[in-house]
Amino acid sequence: MKKILFILMAFCLLTATAHAQDTIKIGLMAPLTGSFASEGAEMKQVLELLAANLNARGGLLGKKVELITDDDGSDARTAALAAQRLTTKGVVAVIGTYGSSVTEASQNIFNEARIIQVANGSTAIRLSEKNLKYFFRTCPRDDEQGKVAVDAIVKTKAKKVAILHDNSTYAKGLADEVRPQLEKKGIKIVFFDALTPKQSDYTAVLTKMKGAGPDLVFFTGYYSEAGLLLKQAKQMNWKVPFLGGDATYNTDLVKLAGKEAVTGFAFVMPPLPKYLPSKSAKEFLAAFKKKYGNEPSSPYSVLAGDGFRVVAAAIAQAKTTDADKLAAYLHTQFKDKDALTGTISFNAKGDRVGDVYRYFKFDNKGNIALQK
Amino acid sequence: MEEFFQQLTNGLAVGSIYALIALGYTMVYGVLKLINFAHGDLFTIGAYLGMTLLASFALHETIGPFLGLIVLALMVMGLVAILGAIVERTAYRPLRESPRLSAVVSALGASIFLQNAVMLIYGARFQVYPEDLIPETSIDLFGLYIPVVRILVLFVSLALMAALFIFIQKTRIGTAIRAAAIDQDAARLMGIDVNRVILLVFLIGPALGGAAGLLVGLQYGQINFTMGWTYGMKAFTAAILGGIGNIPGAMLGGLILGVIEALGSAYISIAWKDAIAFFVLILILIVRPTGLLGERVADKI
Repeated sequence: MKKILFILMAFCLLTATAHAQDTIKIGLMAPLTGSFASEGAEMKQVLELLAANLNARGGLLGKKVELITDDDGSDARTAALAAQRLTTKGVVAVIGTYGSSVTEASQNIFNEARIIQVANGSTAIRLSEKNLKYFFRTCPRDDEQGKVAVDAIVKTKAKKVAILHDNSTYAKGLADEVRPQLEKKGIKIVFFDALTPKQSDYTAVLTKMKGAGPDLVFFTGYYSEAGLLLKQAKQMNWKVPFLGGDATYNTDLVKLAGKEAVTGFAFVMPPLPKYLPSKSAKEFLAAFKKKYGNEPSSPYSVLAGDGFRVVAAAIAQAKTTDADKLAAYLHTQFKDKDALTGTISFNAKGDRVGDVYRYFKFDNKGNIALQK
Repeated sequence: MEEFFQQLTNGLAVGSIYALIALGYTMVYGVLKLINFAHGDLFTIGAYLGMTLLASFALHETIGPFLGLIVLALMVMGLVAILGAIVERTAYRPLRESPRLSAVVSALGASIFLQNAVMLIYGARFQVYPEDLIPETSIDLFGLYIPVVRILVLFVSLALMAALFIFIQKTRIGTAIRAAAIDQDAARLMGIDVNRVILLVFLIGPALGGAAGLLVGLQYGQINFTMGWTYGMKAFTAAILGGIGNIPGAMLGGLILGVIEALGSAYISIAWKDAIAFFVLILILIVRPTGLLGERVADKI
């Protein structure tokens, strides 16, 4: 009896490994735990949906695509470990991750292992200034975002601006990017400092900013802090307009701040698929809603989906899973391809080319409207 | 000057929450010489339970907002206290006789377990308390805007701390807790059931932590499953600042830490807020290694 069991098990294992070689493995490194676990959960949903659709259409190069997910815990150290685990699992490419400092910890590991990495929510400039051959990203860089933010600030005719970041790679990068550009346009920066993320009381920060008397507050951090800032500013009876970077938006922001406090809050970000007219965006949106019951709440999960589509398209077009050939294809031949968030091309650094950012504002019903 | 007082009230509001959580750390340390790392997560659970009970019973609508909130607070405190006792029973009591390091590892394990349990039950997203529970008005006090919630939170936490202080100092059970904190063996010889004292400490501490969680939820509206870590770290610091093991010390430490943070960010730099707070902690520990109110070695409760 034992023998039979043993043979049975051995057989199962053999078929399992034999089966595994028949698939093309694409990795997803996402924050499934930690403070941005909600972003990670949605990234996983998007990729599972796209992978299932791709496999239903026959997969890639005659093989099924297998998604291998690992958790970076929204934390640089955990990300390095996750990246190392992924490199041992035979993945061709890795999608992810969210947060520039987290991505930065994994970049060299993937590059040395000759694995294509397509980051989805890592906009810090320096990530693509390291000459890493296999690094790409579907999100634009902060200098792109900075330009749009500066335009938006100039349009509000504010003369005195307070800039608040949270010392993360991304938020500080964006704040540093915008500051000199505003000063060049004759706008006075009356306040420039960082808050400590993940706390619930920002009244000390707000009181200090209020003392500086700005016409506008530009906050470059993340949405949970944005929600608290807006709510507490309202409680303090301080009626200053806020402008946010792309990480300040999430559908949860309305709940976090309350409808009243969020009214008039403006921000720049890559558009959610519902603001995009393309056919693939509409199809994706319908499929996502059908499978999970709601629309994607963050643009970054959709950008992860674009990363997956880019990799899949490259493998299909270049007819190979060799990282060097795929990277060469993406750098040189992948131009103006249709994506869930507009069109995608990559430059020599692996950065996405073209203007992606849009300027949005909340109305008094908690909806966002695209601003011209 | 106006800004100074505004920042002072900001600091006191945050500090009162720190103090309330710090009590749980300090009581357990006083009796067991153990840092209960799971305490921060019991605080988180208090916040989540408050939200769930609010949504499911809507007590504030049926029996009025004031009575509703009191009943709600009692329910949350009771449930979190029971959970605290369960943690003591499963994670700490079996290790009572083992080396202290094992208990610390077990405490960390309990913390990770609870944190992830909250994440798996409620999801990783930020959760929000129902709006318009407490009027969002502010009182205009000599040009200072102080939200009503804030005053409420400050008074409730001060009242809870005062109640605890009287309980520990004036009642027989309180005396038993103090005795067990000084010398467990001697207390046992005097006929005190030390196991029951420890159980009691694990009921009171988490109850206060749970109440703090509820207050944070009511005040800020936004809760998430990692909040126990941030608040826990600060509360633990407050406990050390005031002298760990000492109950009035934890209260004082919490309030002082809150005020240092607020004034530090107001007059030095916001980004350096935590660094300033810890710098002050180091200065105090250099002058008084036992913390502000800690006597001899910090072993009294």
